[in-house]
Amino acid sequence: MNVCGYIPESINEGPGLRAVLFVSGCRHACAGCFNTDSWDFEAGEPFTEEMSAAILQDIQDNPLLDGVTLCGGDPFFSPEECAAFVRRLRTLCPAKNVWAYTGFTFEALIRQPKLRELALLCDVIVDGKFELERRDVSLPFRGSSNQRFIDVAASMEQGVTVEYILR
Amino acid sequence: MKVMKRDGCLVDFEISRIVKAVDKAFIAVEGASYKEASLQIGEAVARATAGMEQVSVEEIQDIVVEHLRSTGYAEAAAAYQHYREARDLERMRRGELYKISRDVIGVTNLELLRENANLNGESFSGKMSRIGSEYAKWMASKFILPTELTRAVRDGYVYVHDLDQYALGTTNCIFIPFGRLLAKGFNTGNGSVRPPQSIMTAMALVAIIFQSQQNSQFGGVSGSKIDWDLAPYVGKSFRRHFRKGLAYFGEAGLGEDQPYERALEDHEIYIDNEQLKDIYPRVYHYAYQETVNEAKQAAESLIHNLNTMSSRAGGQIPFTSLNYGMCTSTEGRLVSHALLDATMKGLGGGETPIFPQHIFQCKQGVNQAEGEPNYDLFLKAVECSSRRLYPNFVNVDASFNLVYYNPGDPDTIIATMGCRTRTISDRFGRNRLSGKGNLSFNTINLVRLGIEHGIVQGKREVPDLNRFYQQLDHYMRIAVEGLIHRYELQADQPAKASDFMMREGVWEGGEALAPEDKVRELIKHGTLALGFIGLAECLKALTGRHHGEDEDSRGLGIEIIRHMRRFCDAAGERYNLNITLFATPAEGLSGKFTKLDRQTFGVIEGVTDREYYTNSFHIPVYYPMAAYRKIRSEAPFHELCNAGAISYVELDGNARQNTAAFRDIVQFALQQNIGYFSVNHPVDRCPACNYEGIIGSACPGCGALEADGNFQRLRRVTGYLTGNYTERFNSAKQAEVRDRVKHL
Repeated sequence: MNVCGYIPESINEGPGLRAVLFVSGCRHACAGCFNTDSWDFEAGEPFTEEMSAAILQDIQDNPLLDGVTLCGGDPFFSPEECAAFVRRLRTLCPAKNVWAYTGFTFEALIRQPKLRELALLCDVIVDGKFELERRDVSLPFRGSSNQRFIDVAASMEQGVTVEYILR
Repeated sequence: MKVMKRDGCLVDFEISRIVKAVDKAFIAVEGASYKEASLQIGEAVARATAGMEQVSVEEIQDIVVEHLRSTGYAEAAAAYQHYREARDLERMRRGELYKISRDVIGVTNLELLRENANLNGESFSGKMSRIGSEYAKWMASKFILPTELTRAVRDGYVYVHDLDQYALGTTNCIFIPFGRLLAKGFNTGNGSVRPPQSIMTAMALVAIIFQSQQNSQFGGVSGSKIDWDLAPYVGKSFRRHFRKGLAYFGEAGLGEDQPYERALEDHEIYIDNEQLKDIYPRVYHYAYQETVNEAKQAAESLIHNLNTMSSRAGGQIPFTSLNYGMCTSTEGRLVSHALLDATMKGLGGGETPIFPQHIFQCKQGVNQAEGEPNYDLFLKAVECSSRRLYPNFVNVDASFNLVYYNPGDPDTIIATMGCRTRTISDRFGRNRLSGKGNLSFNTINLVRLGIEHGIVQGKREVPDLNRFYQQLDHYMRIAVEGLIHRYELQADQPAKASDFMMREGVWEGGEALAPEDKVRELIKHGTLALGFIGLAECLKALTGRHHGEDEDSRGLGIEIIRHMRRFCDAAGERYNLNITLFATPAEGLSGKFTKLDRQTFGVIEGVTDREYYTNSFHIPVYYPMAAYRKIRSEAPFHELCNAGAISYVELDGNARQNTAAFRDIVQFALQQNIGYFSVNHPVDRCPACNYEGIIGSACPGCGALEADGNFQRLRRVTGYLTGNYTERFNSAKQAEVRDRVKHL
C-alpha cells in the first residue's frame, strides 16, 4: 500500500482536530474529484513499517487530536493494510476516534468480508461517491449532498444504516 | 554681471550684499564691525569676477573665504564659513521638508503611506495627517531625541514607536472607565451629556466616549469590562419597558381606569425578580423581549458607529477594543450576547466588522466548562471567532493575571488593548485596569545583536554570549533612558493638553487637576514598555537554529527574554516607574530593521532573507509545526512579557464548520498558561454572492474569478484586523502573510 499524504492536524475531515492519512489508489473515478492524483495506486510512497510507527507516535504525542481520518484515494481499496493500521491505533490510542472516507456505500461495505472488517473498526464512515451535480460547498466535511455520515456502531446494533448527527 | 542664486534665478551683482555678509562674520568673531576690511573684500570679489558674464553664489563665497584667509583674517574666514554652512544646513532642512511633502502628496512612497494598516494613507485626509506626522518625526529625531538614542535608532538597534508624538508629549493608550463616565455623565468639550437611561443610549454614548477620548492620545482605547459597565442600563431599559407594559396591559386584576394596587418601586423592577414574572406574566414577557431586542439593536449600532467614525487625525478610525465575558448577571450576559450576535451578523452587507476588537475574558468556574454560568457565552465567542477572527481570548486564570484578580472587583479582571498591551500592575498601588494605560514603548532589534555576536557570519564557532548580553544591556539602557526622557516630556504637559482625558477623569484623578496643572503625578501610574522583535532570527544568528527547531536554542531564548525582564524590573526600581517588558506588536516596524540589517550584513539565510523579522518571541510563521507544539513552545514567554504578548496558531480550513477543534485549541492554550491567544484563519469574502470562507482563485459559491471577483481578504495585523490586506498592508506585512504556515 502507498500513501500520498499525511496531515498531522486538520480541521477539514471530521469534527475536532484530526490526523489525516491519504491512502493511494481509487477506482471510483468520480467526475469533479478534488484529488485525481491520488487515484494511482503507485502515487506517493510505500507505507512502510517505519512510517506507520512514526505516524502512530506522532498521533500519540499530540494531546489536541480528537481522532484520525483515513482519506484517499479510497482506503477501502486497501482494506487489509488499513485494518492493520487502525487496529494498532486502537491499541495505542484507545481514546481517539476513527473516521474513514469511501466512495462505496455503507451497505456495500458490510456485504464484503474484507471491507466489512475495516468498516467495523471505524466509528464514522463518510460514504458514497462524489456527485458533481449535487456538489454543495456549504456542507461541512463532504463534497456532495448524497454523501452520508454513518454511525457504524449504531448501525450494526440496530441492523439498519444509522446516520451520525454532527453536533 | 549676473549672479546665479541657488534656486537658479539670476540677479544683478551688488557689492553691498557681500560687504554686509562679511561684516556679520567680523561682528561674530571680533565683536565689532570692520567696515574698511569688509569693503576691501567686496571690491576684491568685484575685481576677481570682472569681465565674467555670470557667477554663482558658491564661487563668490569661495573667493571671500580665500581672501579673508590670505589677508590675515583666518578667524573671520572660519566664521564666514560657519555662517555659510549654517545657511546650507537650513536650506537642506527645507529640502527635507519638501521631500516629505512631495513623497506624501505624489504617493511616491507607498511604504510611508501604508505604515498604519488602518489608515487610508492615499486619501486626502490620510495624506494631510501623514505630512504632519512626517514633519513631527523629523523634528523629534533632529532636535529632541537624546543623541545616543538617535544614533542607536540610525544604526538599527532601537526603534522609537510613534515618534511623531514624541515632541508633543502625547501618551499612548488607555482603559476607559466607562461605568463611571456613564454613571455621572460627561462633557465632550462642546456640550454636556446626561447619564443614559437605556441600553440604547448607553451604547451610543460608549461610541461618543471612544471618539472624545481618542484624540487625547495616539494609541488604542479599550473597555476592560464592558459587560459590567453596561449591565445597569439593560436594567434601566427593562424597567422602562416594564412600566410601559403595566400602563397598557392592565394586569393583576386592575381595570384600565383604576390606579395600581400598589405602586412598584424602581428597585423592585428587575429581570431576575421571579415575583414579577408570576404576578405580571404578560407585562414581564413584553418587557423582557423588548429589552433583548433593544440590546441587540444597540450593539449593532455601536459596532456600526465604531467602524464609521474616521475621526482620528482626519482619516483614521480609532483602535477600539471591548473586553467582556465574566459578568454573570442576567443584564451583563445580555450585553455580551448582544455584542457577539451583532458581530456575527456583520455590517450592512454582512461583512466582518474591523472594529471594535473583541476580547473574551476566560476563567474557570465562570465560562470554561459545561454547567458554568457563562459557558454558553464562551461557546458563542468561539463560534464568532471562527467566523469573524475575533474575539481573541485573554486568560484570567494565567498565574500572572490571577494574582491581581479580586472576585469582588471586576476592574481587576485582566483585559487587553486589542493589540496585546497589558497594564494591570502598578508600583503605586493602582493594580487594576481602568483609568490608566501605557505611556510609550521602544523596541530592541534582537536580530542585529544576534548577527554581531553569533556564529552566523562564520567568525566564531560558538556564540559570544558575554558580548551579546553586554551589548544588549547597552542598548536596553539607551532605550529605557529614551523612555524616561520621553516620560519627562509627557509628565510636564498641562492637563488641558490631553483635554477630555484629564478633564473628565478618563485617566483616573484627572478631573481634580486645573487646566494648567502638570499631569506628572497621575501618569506615573501608567507603564513604560521596552519591547523586542525577532527572537527567532536572533537565535538563528547566534546558534544556527531558532527556538522552534531546537530545545537548547529555546532554552537560550527564554534566558535572553528573562534577562530582559530582569533588566526592566531593575530599571523600574531605579527610576521608580512602571517599566515593563513588551512583546512588541510590530506593524510599521516589521520590515524596517530587516532592511537596515541587510544593508550592513547582506542577505543571510534564515536571518535577513525575508522582508520582515518574526514578531516578538513567536516561532517563525513560515516554520511548520503542530499547533500544540507551537503553543507549548511560546507559552513560557507570556509570563515574562508583563507589558503584554499574544500567541497565534494558523488554521487552514473553514473554521466555522469545526468549532469543536477551535474550542479545544483555545482551551489548550489557556491551560498552558498563555496570557492572550487567538486563532488566525482565512476569512475571504466574495462580494458577488456574499460567500464567506476560503476563496482560492475562484469563488466556491458562485464561481467568480479572482480577476473579476475582487475578493475581500481579511487578515490580522498586530492583533487588530484590517480590511483588504493586499491594499492596506505594507510590503513586509504582506510578505509575512504570504509566508504564514498553517499549523493545522
